[in-house]
Amino acid sequence: MTILAIESSCDETSMSIIKDGSIDLGTVILSQIDIHKLYGGVVPEIASRSHVESITIVLEEVLTKASITMEEIDAIAVTYGPGLIGSLLVGLLAAKTLSYIYNKPLIPVHHIAGHIYANNLVKRLEFPLIALVISGGHTELVYMENDYSFEKIGGTLDDAVGECYDKVARVLNIPYPGGPSIDKMAKLGKDTYKLPLPLNDSSYDFSFSGIKSAVINLIHNELQKGNTIRKEDLACSFQNKVVEILTKKTMKALKEYNVKNLIVAGGVAANSGIRSSLEQECNKNNINLTIPPILYCTDNAAMIGAAGYYAYQKGIVSDINLNAKANCELGENI
Amino acid sequence: MKYLFIDTCSSNLIISTIIDNKIDYFFNDKNNNDTSSKVMKVIKEAVPDINTVDKIFVVNGPGSFTGIRVGVTIAKTIGFCLNIPIIKLSELELLATTKTNTKYNASLIDARRGYVYAGIYDQDLNCYLEDQHILLSDINYPQDCTIIENYDNIDLLKIIKKHEFDEPINPHNLKPNYLKRTEAEEKLDDKKD
Repeated sequence: MTILAIESSCDETSMSIIKDGSIDLGTVILSQIDIHKLYGGVVPEIASRSHVESITIVLEEVLTKASITMEEIDAIAVTYGPGLIGSLLVGLLAAKTLSYIYNKPLIPVHHIAGHIYANNLVKRLEFPLIALVISGGHTELVYMENDYSFEKIGGTLDDAVGECYDKVARVLNIPYPGGPSIDKMAKLGKDTYKLPLPLNDSSYDFSFSGIKSAVINLIHNELQKGNTIRKEDLACSFQNKVVEILTKKTMKALKEYNVKNLIVAGGVAANSGIRSSLEQECNKNNINLTIPPILYCTDNAAMIGAAGYYAYQKGIVSDINLNAKANCELGENI
Repeated sequence: MKYLFIDTCSSNLIISTIIDNKIDYFFNDKNNNDTSSKVMKVIKEAVPDINTVDKIFVVNGPGSFTGIRVGVTIAKTIGFCLNIPIIKLSELELLATTKTNTKYNASLIDARRGYVYAGIYDQDLNCYLEDQHILLSDINYPQDCTIIENYDNIDLLKIIKKHEFDEPINPHNLKPNYLKRTEAEEKLDDKKD
């Protein structure tokens, strides 16, 4: 089964042709990052405007790249949420139009389900598993008994982990997006600043607004005392605490759910500190760890095509009235 | 010749088909607030087989930013996939098709904070004041002019006839005509000044 997948939930216009949920025949990702850099973060209206200007160009490119025609496509999969509503709508309307003119099934895909299934493009998922989804918009722990069954066991109560990185980067005057830069700086620094371990409790939830405020206060206090901030050391201290809590709660979930498979997904899965900490712990505890290559970590349509295939196997299809949802829970009825 | 007309720029959703200069199908929901979920169903009902359409007329603004994008995305996707010519139309010119006894019609759409989207046309739809985002108090109306602010008596056939043989636009180049930059862009420019 060959699926044309569309993803436009934030600032990437992406389309992909995916065969049988695992083979990427061609993926195009048009990132708007250079535009949003000027504003220090994604501006929703500008993102929507960019999507509509490039939507058919991306479609033409992906068909060319995969050497395929629309007639050979079996179904259209699209991200319906969560995300920026104006951005989602452009991809969704394009998908509905394609479904209408070629009379193909329309498969609604939850963005987080997509991130999880990015791993299926690398290696067939093995169940049961725990998925740690970490990105600029999401921080979630999900338990999966089998294909396309999701049980969210924990999530962030406030900022997503990537969002926290971007905010901390901003107070350190590091250009957007801050995550990759902090990661690089952290490797050069030492863990010398004292910061709290965020939401260190027995739940699977996360909270990153506290550590963000702690960093801001720390900078403020140091500057008032006339001290200079050792940015590399602060980056290292901050990253260590974030990595520690993510690792701790993920390992606890694996143990308590008695699961031997861990997958990590989302843009922050590219973070070297998180990768090496999880690799170490998984090795120690005999856990199967999968992290997709960076191309599939950040937002892309290939993951939507992979998830769409398994959604379709479960009978999840939508009629032409499908609407976008800015907020929606994984596994809820559409 | 069969034409598909799409206007999703405001809460006044219009989908219509025109066959040989006669209106064949006309859907108009004056208080629509659910364009994105509803519009495809209406188009499907209007045109069960899209391949029978010879041309698409799409209104690409000004109006609700999100609304404009809905119609533009649909039109450019169909146009690109099936190679159906697309003609873009102005929402203000559409309003100006309202028949009045004056020489000019001034179309106004509220753009908030004292601003409007405005365009002034004569009875043959020749443009007198180009479509723009302007302070309501700054508009210089010509003599013998009626202000049009609602869709009650618009004449679809009139605007289609006027633009029937316009040069079609390449679907890749079809963009919304917002007439206004985003607030973020305006603020960034203010900072530079």
